Amino acid sequence: MWLPLIGLLLGLLLGFFTNVNIPEQYSIYLGMGFLAAFSTLLGGARAQFDNEFDEKIFITGFFTNLILAITLAFLGVHLGVDLYLAAVFAFGVRIFHNIALIRRMLLKNWSNKKENE
Amino acid sequence: MKIRMILYTFLTTMIGLLIAVLFQSNSEPDSRDTRNIGELRQALISERETQQTLNEELNRQMEILYQLEQTEDVELVMGDVMEDLQEQAGLTEVTGSGLLIEIDIVFDENYTGGGIKSVPPYLLRLLINELNIQGAQHIAIGNQRIVSTTAIREANGRTLVNGNWLSQFPIEIKVIADDPESIHHAMMSSQASDLFNYDNFRFSSTPIDNLTLPSFDKNYRVRFMEPVQEDS
Repeated sequence: MWLPLIGLLLGLLLGFFTNVNIPEQYSIYLGMGFLAAFSTLLGGARAQFDNEFDEKIFITGFFTNLILAITLAFLGVHLGVDLYLAAVFAFGVRIFHNIALIRRMLLKNWSNKKENE
Repeated sequence: MKIRMILYTFLTTMIGLLIAVLFQSNSEPDSRDTRNIGELRQALISERETQQTLNEELNRQMEILYQLEQTEDVELVMGDVMEDLQEQAGLTEVTGSGLLIEIDIVFDENYTGGGIKSVPPYLLRLLINELNIQGAQHIAIGNQRIVSTTAIREANGRTLVNGNWLSQFPIEIKVIADDPESIHHAMMSSQASDLFNYDNFRFSSTPIDNLTLPSFDKNYRVRFMEPVQEDS
């Protein structure tokens, strides 16, 4: 359980101490990467609660989402249409949906535990 | 379970890294101060000059205040101040030693362009800027006095100064200055002179001892000031 948190801290420290700066026009792609990773993480957590977690689906889901999002952002930049919004919207909906499901499951588990006591 | 944790860790590490990088890139200031010591000193000098002008202005105002306090006849002092301000604003005719700049058309054998109707506004603006830099006190283009709100622009291919068309060539630009000789030399070797030559204008300047500049004959459009009425 602690390992992911340590990973998060490690990533933050690595990012702040390596002093990497990316030009403003590429920040969209980084944002896409962040959204894809976050939504995949929540999707994985939700699947774990449903006991249907599959590593293959997890990994392939992450990479296809990421590639699709970045392709949309790239095309959007070159076509002059903000296509990346589609990806932001999809990821956003997925994140909220998964958080809602996880919250419900946690609440259910908690009330079940209370009833059993 | 172990693979799952490693995957999660990988993802959270990535999220952390991306957040850190994004945060850093966005918090970077938009423009950095890249002036070197020379430029900083120049900026400092110009600030000092501003300070000096402000101090001089303050002294002048203090003097006027002192005069007003000392004299019985306030109107006389007010009249003096008013005249002084009117002269500064270009509302009076001024006479003094200065410079007469003449701009005329000149064609060389290889000229292939069209007819030249008037001096382009950007050249006049450049010239006025250079004259002001060199220390000109009053400037008039043709019969139009240049004041702080003078607009120089183009309409229908002709140049307007103060809303009036420039007279025909040669155009006379009258400048009053303390040291006409030095401005004359500065203008003859200036960038403005070169640019006038590129555009097929002949640019000549002569220092003159007695020069009269017309007054600004229009009404000032004052937008951000209004008279305060004393409560009676």
